[in-house]
This record gives sequence, C-alpha cells and structure tokens, in this order.
Amino acid sequence: MIELKSLSRRYRSDEIETTALHDVSLTIRQGEFVAIMGPSGCGKSTLLNILGTIDRPTEGRYLFDGEDLTASSEAALAQHRAQRLGFIFQSFNLVDDLTIAENIELGLLYRKGRQGSRRALVEAAMDRVGVGHRARHFPHQLSGGQQQRAAIARAIVGEPSLILADEPTGNLDTENGAQVMEILKGLNAAGATIVMVTHSPSHADQAGRRIDILDGRLVASVAQAI
Amino acid sequence: MLRSILVAFWRSFTRRPLDAALNLLGLSLGVATFLTLSLLYRFETSYERWTPERGKIYAGGVAYNIPGFTHATRVGAMGGLLEEMKADYPDVRGVRDWPQLVTVHRGAAATAEQMELVDPEFLDFFQVPLLAGDARTALADPGKVVISEDLARKYFGTSDVVGRTLEVTETEGRATYAISAVSKALPKNSELKLDMLRLLTPTRTAKEESWHHWGSIQLQTYYKFDRPEQARALEAQLPAFVDRRVGKTFGDVVPHEMLSLKFVPLRDVHLLDAKQRAAVDTLGVVGIVALALALINYVNLATARAGLRAREVAVRKTLGAGPGTLRTQFLGEAAVTIALAFLIGLAVVELALPLINAAGGLSLGLDYRRDGAWVAGVFGVVLAAGLLAAVYPAFMLAAFKPAQVLASSRAPSGGRFGARLREALVVCQFAAVVAAFVLMLGFLGQIRHMQDADFGYRRDGLFLVTATRGVGVTPEQRNAYWEAVRRIPGVIAVTASSNAPADDSFNSNSTATRLDRAARPGLSPTLNVSSIGPDYFQALGGRLIVGRLLDQQHGGDEQYDPKATPDTVTNVVISRATVKLMEYASPEEALDKLMDFSGRKVRIVGVVEDMRFYSPMEKVPAKIYFFSGLPAWWPADWPITMVRYSGMDDAAMRTRLETAWRQAAPSTPFEGKTALANLDRYYKPQRDRSNLFSLGAAAGAGIGCIGLYGLAAFNTSRRAREVGLRKVLGASSPQVARLLIGQFLRPILIACLIAWPLAFWALRRWLSQFDDPVGIGPGIFLAGAAAALAVGLATVGGLGWAAAATSPGKALRSE
Repeated sequence: MIELKSLSRRYRSDEIETTALHDVSLTIRQGEFVAIMGPSGCGKSTLLNILGTIDRPTEGRYLFDGEDLTASSEAALAQHRAQRLGFIFQSFNLVDDLTIAENIELGLLYRKGRQGSRRALVEAAMDRVGVGHRARHFPHQLSGGQQQRAAIARAIVGEPSLILADEPTGNLDTENGAQVMEILKGLNAAGATIVMVTHSPSHADQAGRRIDILDGRLVASVAQAI
Repeated sequence: MLRSILVAFWRSFTRRPLDAALNLLGLSLGVATFLTLSLLYRFETSYERWTPERGKIYAGGVAYNIPGFTHATRVGAMGGLLEEMKADYPDVRGVRDWPQLVTVHRGAAATAEQMELVDPEFLDFFQVPLLAGDARTALADPGKVVISEDLARKYFGTSDVVGRTLEVTETEGRATYAISAVSKALPKNSELKLDMLRLLTPTRTAKEESWHHWGSIQLQTYYKFDRPEQARALEAQLPAFVDRRVGKTFGDVVPHEMLSLKFVPLRDVHLLDAKQRAAVDTLGVVGIVALALALINYVNLATARAGLRAREVAVRKTLGAGPGTLRTQFLGEAAVTIALAFLIGLAVVELALPLINAAGGLSLGLDYRRDGAWVAGVFGVVLAAGLLAAVYPAFMLAAFKPAQVLASSRAPSGGRFGARLREALVVCQFAAVVAAFVLMLGFLGQIRHMQDADFGYRRDGLFLVTATRGVGVTPEQRNAYWEAVRRIPGVIAVTASSNAPADDSFNSNSTATRLDRAARPGLSPTLNVSSIGPDYFQALGGRLIVGRLLDQQHGGDEQYDPKATPDTVTNVVISRATVKLMEYASPEEALDKLMDFSGRKVRIVGVVEDMRFYSPMEKVPAKIYFFSGLPAWWPADWPITMVRYSGMDDAAMRTRLETAWRQAAPSTPFEGKTALANLDRYYKPQRDRSNLFSLGAAAGAGIGCIGLYGLAAFNTSRRAREVGLRKVLGASSPQVARLLIGQFLRPILIACLIAWPLAFWALRRWLSQFDDPVGIGPGIFLAGAAAALAVGLATVGGLGWAAAATSPGKALRSE
C-alpha cells in the first residue's frame, strides 16, 4: 500500500541545516497496524507528516497504492488526503468554533463528488466512538478523552484507507488512553491500515509491527504478535 | 461552502463578541461615512437629471477679460443674444429664462414671488414634466401662466388649478392671468426655479434698454445640440461672431479678446465654479478615506488574529482543503461581514441623516424605490473594495503550512512582515486622523477669521429693506416710508443705495480712464459702480480715508443733473482698491483727479476704505460711488433701504419696519433682513462644508481608534507572558504600562511627521481660495497632533495599565 524509497527530509533555517529523516525506505501493507517509536526529535512526526502528505521529502520517492505522490500538486495532495487519509493528533486539534458534529463533518467537507447524507455518516461515526450525545457541544465543553474520541470520529467518518495517529494517547490519562487504543484496534480489525507514532511501549506493543527510529534513521522493524 | 462560511461568521460573533463588534463597528462607521458623502456627491453632481434632455442642453456662458474683473466663465447672457445668434446661425435652437420679482395678490394678502419670462417652446425644450395642461400651447398666450404644483397648493390648496386665475403685479403692472398648466415639482438639485412661467413677448423685451447692450447679463439662455461636437463646432465660431456683432462698442480693443461666449453643458452649471467643485470633490475624498480607514482596520484585525485561526487552517488543510478552498472560505466570511456592515451603515445613515442635513445645510434622503440601483451600486463598490482588502488576510491564512503550525506551540501571526504591515497601516490611519484634525482646526480658524474680519463697515445693527425696490412701488411710497422709518425710536440713520451687503441683484461695471495722464494702450480697468443716497457711509459706518463724503450741499455731487453737458464733471468717491487699480500712488494723490468713467467726466473728492459686500472668496471690487439726493426716483429696481439702529433687537426692529411698510405701501409685500442674515449666504456654505468635513474627520478618528483599540487589545494579550516575566524580573507596573502604551503611541508620532506636510499643503491650497486667508502657524499642527495623541492615549491607556497591573503568576499561566 505504502512504499517509501530512500526518503530524506532536511530543514534549512538561516545557516543551520537539520536532517530530520535520512535515507528511510519502508513498506506498509494494506490492513497493517504499525507503531513508530523513538526519542523526541528523532523524526517520527516528520515521517508521519510525509506519510500524511502535509510535508514533502527533500529526496526519495513516496508511492501510495503504486501512485508516486512525490511530485504531486498541492491540489492533488489535498484531494488525496480528503479521499484516503484520516488524521488523529496528540492535542486533538478540534476547531474551537465548531461543534463536535461540525468538527466531524470537516472530514467529509472537502471531498469531491456526491457523498450522500453527510449527517447520517457523521452520526454513525459519533455513535461508533461514543460521542453522539455531545454532537452540539463545543470542544472546550468535553473532557480530553471525549475530545480525542471526537477526533477519531473525524478521522474515520470518510472511511479512509489509511489512518495516521500522532501520539493519540499522549494527552490522555491511562483509562482514556486504553479506550482510544481499543478503538484503534477495533478499526484495524475492521480492515483499516493504521500508522501510529507513540512514546508508550505498552501501546506500541498492541500494534502488529513496531518500527524504531533514531536520529532520522530507521533502525528496526519488528513484526509483533497481537 | 456557504453553510461553512455562515457558521464561521456566526461563531465569531457568539464566541468573541468584542472582536467581532470592534471589526463590525469600524467597518459600519466607515461605510456610513462613505454612504453619506456618496449621497452628497451624487446630489451635487446630478443636477438637472429631471430633464431627459440634460445631455443635449447647454447654458450660455460668458467670460470677461478685463483688468479688475474676475476672469471666470459665468452662466448668463445679454437679453438679445439669442436673437442675434439666430440671425447669424438660423439652425440654432435655444430658449431664454428671464427671472422677474413679482407680487401675487390673494384677497388682501400680497406675496413676493419669482416669475420666469420664457420663450414659448420652453416647456417642450426642457420637457418639463406637467401634471396638467398641454406643453405646446400652455405658453402661447401672454395672458397665461404655468405654475408649479407647490405654488398651486400654496395659493389654492390643490394642484387641480388649470383654468383658474392668479392676480400678479409685475413691471408691466397688475393683471390677472389664467393658469394654463401645472408642472410637477422639480427635485431640490436643480438650478432652475420654475414656480411661475409666462411668455416672454417682443413688447416686453422692446422696453428693456440694455437688451442688446454687449457686456450686460440679464437672463439665462439655453441651447440644444444633438451631439457635443455640434456645440464645440459652433463655439469655435463664436469669437468671429462676437467681433462681427460687437464692432466698436468696446472701443479699439478686439472684442473677442475682452468677451468670450461659451456653451456650458447643463450638467456642469451647478459646479461651474472650480472652488465649489473642489469643495464637493474634497468631501467625496473624505468619504473614500473613511472607507479606506475602515478597511485598513479590517486588514489589521484580520491579520493580527490570523494566528488564532492558524490551527483551524492547518486542520482543514490536513483534512483535504486546498488553498483555493480556504481562500474562498475566508473571502466568503469577509463578504458576509462587509454585507452586514453595509446594512448597519445604511441604518446609521438613515438615523443620522436628519442630523447631517442640519449640520451641513443639506436635504439628502434615500428613497429605495428610486435609489435602489444606486444603493446596489454603492454596495458593489464597498464589497469590491472590502474583498480587495480581504485578499491579503485570506491569502496569508491559506498559506499557513499545516505541518509547521501543528508542530508549534505558538500561533503564527504573519511573521515580521505581518507585524510591520500592521504598524505601517496604523501609521497610515493615524496620519489621516492627524491631518483631519489639523485641517479641521484650519477650517474653523478661517471661518472665525472671516467672521471677525474687518469688513470696512459695521455689520451688526444694520437692516436691509429690499421691499423699496419691489414692483409697483412708487417714489412717493418710498419717501413716505423713509420718513416713517426715521421716526422709529432707535433708528440712527436711513439711506438708500443700488447695492447692499450680500445683495448682488444690481451689479454694474464700467471702464475708467485717468484723465491726468496720457492714455495707456490696451483695456482700461473696470470699476464697480454704486449709486448712493444721503447718509450712505454714515448709515453703513464706512470709513473715510481722505477728502470728503458726498452730500446734497455740494452741487457737483448730484449724478442726475438735468442741465448736464458732456463737459459737466460729477464728483465721486472711490475706494482704496480703486486707488490701487487706477495706479494712484496714494489716496491723497487721487484727490481732485479727473477720470473718464463710461464716457462721463468725474472728479475724485474722497477715498473710503474698501467694504466687503460679497463672498469672502472674491476680491473686494474696486468701487466708484455716485451720489443722488433723490433716490426715491431712481429706476424702480435700484433702491434698497439700509437702516442703522441701536438699542433694539433685530426682531423688534423688523416688526417696526414691517408695520411702517404696511402703512406706506400696503399692496406690496415687505421684504427685508439684517445685514448679518443676508451675508450669511456666503458664510453658511463654508460653515456647512466645514461641519461635514468635521463629521467625516470625527468618523475617521473614531475608526482609527477602534482599529488601534482592537490591535492593542490583541497585542497586549499576546504579550501577557512577557509582562509576567518582566514583573518577575523586577519591573514595576508603571514601567510595564509605559512599555505597552509607548508601543502604540510610537506609530502616532510617526504619523504626525507624515501628516503635517500633507495637511500644510492641503490647508494652504484650501486657504488660497479666500481673498483674506488666515495665517498658518505651528499651533494648529501641534494641536492636531496633541488631539490625535490624546485620542490614542485614551484608547490604549486603559488596556496597557490593566495588563501591567496583572499579577505575574496569572500572566505566566496565560500561555
């Protein structure tokens, strides 16, 4: 499904050049649940951003279902994200001015073509993560766990082929973190491909494969029994 | 998309009401000012729109090139000009409008009105809208009159008056006229006064001595050309026409070098005076500046708060929104904000129009059935300007990179460029505010200067009675009246003259030549002549510089001497301006000198100070005064009565003068007002425009303050953590307050440096239109800056102090 070939990402600011990713090659198959681990600043989020097409590699190629996305236009990448990807963030990133239902609807808003009843899809997604009763509330009126579940609903409402989760439990307590992991595992069991960045070894252990990154290099890729 | 735009717009109001209110208030104020001044501009520039022939009609104009005479085109013509034009150019189509003061009698009541003597095809020429009657025949008979629906209602209580009669006294006597048609009321923005029209007959014109006197102006002549090129082509032939027709009337000069005839497009007549045009244009510019200031606010607040939406933009982009979609979203939100601001601005205009009309001496109004297209057009302009202003914030927001925004804990704010842009825009705003304050002070200074200036005579305690030149008034009635007025307690002096302060109905100019030196080549200077009765200078309070005043005791002073021969010398008094124009070294040198004035020998026996009777924008004309001891027998339309009084208020004096008039001339209405009230016609427009400018400037200052407050509130909240840190490190509250307030006062100080030279240039240009401008000192510039600084301090001072007083612990937790 995903193939990264000799991917590098360097940042340049004034006189300093920083290499965030160095010659990373990686393949992720349809239906996998991959956890990415590593210390802070090792390049985990950069890798996730490139997988999510909100950042571009400096070198190398990125193939998604055989399609080379490396040189795609901004508009094409935007549609790619709208049609195929779902994002979950550590700090939820719900839009403060929109209700929970409206936030979840954002996951469908930028898709081209007829989508049938958005309301029905939004309601189904909210029910799936258990925030249906909070549809008309604003994010600040919800607990952290509820906000993250709403963010997951936004990520899955369009039934994307790939879900990218950047430390989805990082801002949650143990109980809420466990609930989020259960949801992610359920989604993976239902066929979704998930790539998750995490600091938590116990959460990483629940993924089907674990990838370790250090100083921008991929140092290990280990299949795990779930 | 539309739903998304409306939701975002609505949430911005419900969740950040202060921000939204400041944004909307500033925009609405700008829109309201722009709308009001657009209304005024439209009113002033759309005169005579009532006639469908507006584009084809031209008013006859004339310009004189004579020393001592203003060289500007004025609308008006010699009475017989159209006949002479038709004789040389048979295809010329034209009509004349000769206004006459008349008295309308209804029972015992007599009312002064204006009647227009017009050519028979006048109604058809202008396509005057009629309520009743036939335009082709209504003016066919001199026994008929066409009146306006306003006049019909005034005298009959209804507009259904065709066939009824009106009894009128005019120069030809008292007669009864049948009403043949009723015209619809013309809009207020019309120079034509068509209350009462009657046929101009050859019999009537034959009685007018100066009908074919080149150089005279009696009436308005209008021409019609199907295409502008036709007007221009005929105008090009007019110098030759003038030379042919004038011949040697002006002596040896080439006539067309002294007098040129013009065709002035009807739409340009109202603002023919370049100074008036400039005043209207200036107010239009003030409207545009007010809108620009409001849009600057919008850009400032939108870009400053862009950081607050950065995370939203990043999320939307991550979820698949392209930059184009986001730009559409933000421009859509701007369009909704501008549309709402327009509606609020429109409501403000509706509520404020009575106040603005009173302050500006206007009669502006909005009729949505008639003005719908105009309102839509102005909305289009405001929306287009608003969207143009919103482009930068929209593009700035849409350009945020999601990966960077989501990785950062601080919200971006447009970077160094954004901060500099906002500061530059605040500087622009306050430069406009400072300039407006300086100009406002300059205008007020000039108005006060004009009111306090020495006019060369005393303006208070002086009453002008124009009824003595009313139609049908006999010499005996005038004499009886003057006798009665002299007996009124408090009356100090009574006189009669052909001219009075702010009365220009009789304006005669002729050339003068010095006889004490050899004739000079070229055109002789022109002097403005006044005929004066006994006690003229005493009644006015005029000041004699040298020599003596004219009176009945000196035989040679009387201008109407039945035994006069071509060699008879008449004594005259001249003004200081005449001394200069005639090139006498001093008033003393002018004494006893002989001049030829319009073919008559005159001797200068006195020189008086200049007396300003007319507009403060015009030079005081060089005057020559002729005396007559028997003003009651002057031509009927000359003698205006001037009464000097003291110890009685104006209203009581008016009552006494009116009572005396009713006894002396019961069938002629009393007409008169104080000199101050009469002169106000020149000063009121200046005051009105100054008031309008002040309102516009106040709105601009308000908009600037709203913008400054919004920006200060935003920046202060962004710097809350810095405030906490500074206080932890030992800074006191006043030190922190000075830091925060100083940050916002710095742009105001820079704005002063930009505004001062601009304001100086604009003020000097504006003052150049006055004959006696007030001096421009540094005081008004400093005062303007101080006012802007005070306004700025009042705006941001509270915010800065409140932020500085916050406890460091709370401030450090803010992020």
